Amino acid sequence: MQGMMGVFRELDAATETVRALRADKVNKITAYTPTPRHEFEEAFGDPPSNVRKFTLIGGMLGATFGWWIAIWCSDYWPLVVGGKAVASWVPYTIFGFEVMVLIGGLSTVFGMFALVRIPRLVTTVGYDERFSQGNYGIFAEGTQEQMRSIEETMRRHGAVEVRGAR
Amino acid sequence: MAARDYDKDGVPYRTNIASADIPLPAVTDYGQVDREIAGTLTPSFGWFGALGVAVLLFLWGAGVWTYQIYWGLGNAGYAPPVMWGVYIITFVFWVGIGHAGTLISAILYLFRAGFRTTIYRCAEAMTVFAVMTAGLFPIIHIGRPWKFFWLIPYPNWRLIWPQFKSPLVWDVFAILTYLTISSTFLYVGLIPDIATLRDRERNPVRKQILAVLSFGWRNSDREWRNFTRAYLFLAAFSTPLVLSVHSVVSFDFAMALAPGWHTTIFPPYFVAGAIFSGIGMVFTIIIPIRRFFHLQHYVTLNVIDAAAKLCLFTSMVVGCAYIMEFWVAWYSGNAVEQDYFWNRVFGQWWWAAWIMLICNCILPLSLFSQKLRRNTIWLFGLSLFINLGMWFERFVIVVPSLSHEYEPWQWTHYAPSWVDISLLVGSFGWFFMWFLLFIKQLPVIAISEVKEIVPPKMLHAHGGHGAHAVPVTAHGAASQGGAH
Repeated sequence: MQGMMGVFRELDAATETVRALRADKVNKITAYTPTPRHEFEEAFGDPPSNVRKFTLIGGMLGATFGWWIAIWCSDYWPLVVGGKAVASWVPYTIFGFEVMVLIGGLSTVFGMFALVRIPRLVTTVGYDERFSQGNYGIFAEGTQEQMRSIEETMRRHGAVEVRGAR
Repeated sequence: MAARDYDKDGVPYRTNIASADIPLPAVTDYGQVDREIAGTLTPSFGWFGALGVAVLLFLWGAGVWTYQIYWGLGNAGYAPPVMWGVYIITFVFWVGIGHAGTLISAILYLFRAGFRTTIYRCAEAMTVFAVMTAGLFPIIHIGRPWKFFWLIPYPNWRLIWPQFKSPLVWDVFAILTYLTISSTFLYVGLIPDIATLRDRERNPVRKQILAVLSFGWRNSDREWRNFTRAYLFLAAFSTPLVLSVHSVVSFDFAMALAPGWHTTIFPPYFVAGAIFSGIGMVFTIIIPIRRFFHLQHYVTLNVIDAAAKLCLFTSMVVGCAYIMEFWVAWYSGNAVEQDYFWNRVFGQWWWAAWIMLICNCILPLSLFSQKLRRNTIWLFGLSLFINLGMWFERFVIVVPSLSHEYEPWQWTHYAPSWVDISLLVGSFGWFFMWFLLFIKQLPVIAISEVKEIVPPKMLHAHGGHGAHAVPVTAHGAASQGGAH
């Protein structure tokens, strides 16, 4: 992996750089921002996150398991209370709901981790400690031939520092 | 704007609305946010002193619990048929405390209430530690704590399973789910902040630890895009969860046939009370933190004012529930129910009932005054009364019903023993021990969310595609404050 890393002090400078690089057919771009900004989402034009699929599947599996465990255990070890049905769906909705939330929530976090590829215990190429504080960063990957034009684009849009990273 | 429109800190008054737009005018750049919030992590003598007191109280409670395990539950002041006492009261009290944390962090997040931004981390940590504390009390109450796992459905060679129609099993599922999801919600929100601390840290060992705890987070656009979605869904799950948990706790009572308990009003009544008590505890915690950590320009008087309005509103809901209880007893025509409520307020338990009514319904009416809503000394004092009143609310729910059931031969008295009181006090030590440890290890205000409120630096004031600076409020939502 080789690329050019630019450090920006201003938000609009960074987002303009993303747009310009994409116009130049540089497709492997990572932006770093201390806080989530819609401007980057607009500049990248990425589709919505797929975390929702993990949430939906986890929630459905959880609800199914919650109802199933309550019904199965009641049928296996029947205890009749107050003449009620052995497997009563009304109180068992509590289990369905609670386990839906539990598994749905955990699978959401699992999905987020999987999609952003964390835990990550190695140093990331193109990352700088300033990016979690006050600065914005753009790391653009490309061929050796593209490096000069990437650097020029970054500087033209207001990068305070540009350097190669590999 | 006239001078009276500003408070003494120079922050503009917001007169009648708990707005989604509460700016932090004294916070101007990201570096300041990092510096000031990370600065709260330096230990002080005061912090060590407070931690020492908390640990001592906890050790006292742990010692007394050991004593009780050795000598038996007879030391706990139970007087048959009053076999639920301080432990169940304290369990409900601490579960309730946890609710405001989730309300502030999840429900107010979904409702885009901007005033939550600087107080939600504190409230969320409070939730986790309060639920951890609450979970101890059913275990203490059963007397043989080593058998508590019998309530959990697990495969066993005796081929027996719990009774799934018992509210006690519902409780196990509800509390464990609540503890897991609220801890997860807290930790997920902490990941970007831990990464910020990691990048500021110069000590290599500490830096390595923070790198592991932050999972290698690096603030990339891909990470934020997925993070904001995941955070939203966790908030969406937490919102019905917080309503369900105290409803399930209320079923412990409402499913029984004791007078005063068997009523359908209990779930909403419990949820409103829980949120009210939790907001009281938020004030108890956030006001000293704001003062001692010099965070007045983050937790501004506007934030306190908005939270106080929420406190007033929930107090009135709770007051309405109290009135409805009496009305239902009168309208039912049930003599036992009517006698029970008379005994609660004018008979045997009048003192407890009036502590509850004064602390929960009468004193909070002072919050109709904007001056008192913005007076932190008053609010702190009031919050202590709310904590007291909400503990007594649970006392009034638990004890009078069991001590005044259907037959006169069942009528009895109940007084907590020194063991009960010690474990109650010990629970405060346990709770504050964890909380004090938390606030010196991790940011007490969410760094990345506060940065969303701070206007970002822009190269072009009004031009360019990116110059409109729409902040992704509270991790991903529509705007608040920010650049104008």
